Amino acid sequence: MYPWLWRHLPGGVTSKLACTILLALAAAALLWLVVFPWLTPHLPLDQVMPR
Amino acid sequence: MRTVLRAFGECCVTAGAAVMLFLAYLVWGTALQASQHQHAFATQLQQEWGTGHGARPVTARLHLVTGKPFAFIRIPRFGAKWRFAIVQGTGLPQLALGPGHVPGTALPGRIGNFAVAAHRVTAGNPFYRLSDLRRGDKVMIETAATTYTYQVTTTELVLPDDTAVLDPVPGHPRQHPSTAVITLITCDPPWTGTHRIIVFGSLEAANGALRP
Repeated sequence: MYPWLWRHLPGGVTSKLACTILLALAAAALLWLVVFPWLTPHLPLDQVMPR
Repeated sequence: MRTVLRAFGECCVTAGAAVMLFLAYLVWGTALQASQHQHAFATQLQQEWGTGHGARPVTARLHLVTGKPFAFIRIPRFGAKWRFAIVQGTGLPQLALGPGHVPGTALPGRIGNFAVAAHRVTAGNPFYRLSDLRRGDKVMIETAATTYTYQVTTTELVLPDDTAVLDPVPGHPRQHPSTAVITLITCDPPWTGTHRIIVFGSLEAANGALRP
């Protein structure tokens, strides 16, 4: 997966590295802003109310 | 074979990184969101109460709207800076904002049971140290017109299905209440859903004046 990604990123090492960091940040942002807020209420974490 | 193993290894590393990021989100992300809401709530309540201009309204009614703040809770044992705005409701969306007032339970200072639930961890860990409270500790509820001071009476560890702690007279479902009590609820151990820590208190004073 990662070697394939590295081969397909454009330019030299600097450009590839910059793209990698950008992609990683985009993936992290997607997780942090969309996936995690959606996921948290579905997990049986820290349940405080009697039921 | 080597390709398969490599792909598997990459997936494991990726999943591990995602899990670590998720833990960071639970610890810092939810706390940041809650603190932003709490900051806005504090500003909102102080504006509504007119505390910026000195005089408080003498006969201020409590407006209970789900997800909206109506009072502050202070617990001196948790430090002078420890203060949260209490919102109405105890669904997950409300608990993500701060401590929530259990719908259907009494209002602060009134006869009956004023029940407040909050997260032990996540959302700024409001009730992280709830198990530290001891008999005689003060719990202050500030509303528009009045500050109610409760004193802790007992602490209990109960199972999640013990809803009797929310009764007007906690533990006595059909009894008619004659005193004002407070019930603070969170989970125990932290992060889990196996038990609940319950702290009971009784009203001692309103606006600093001892009740007759």
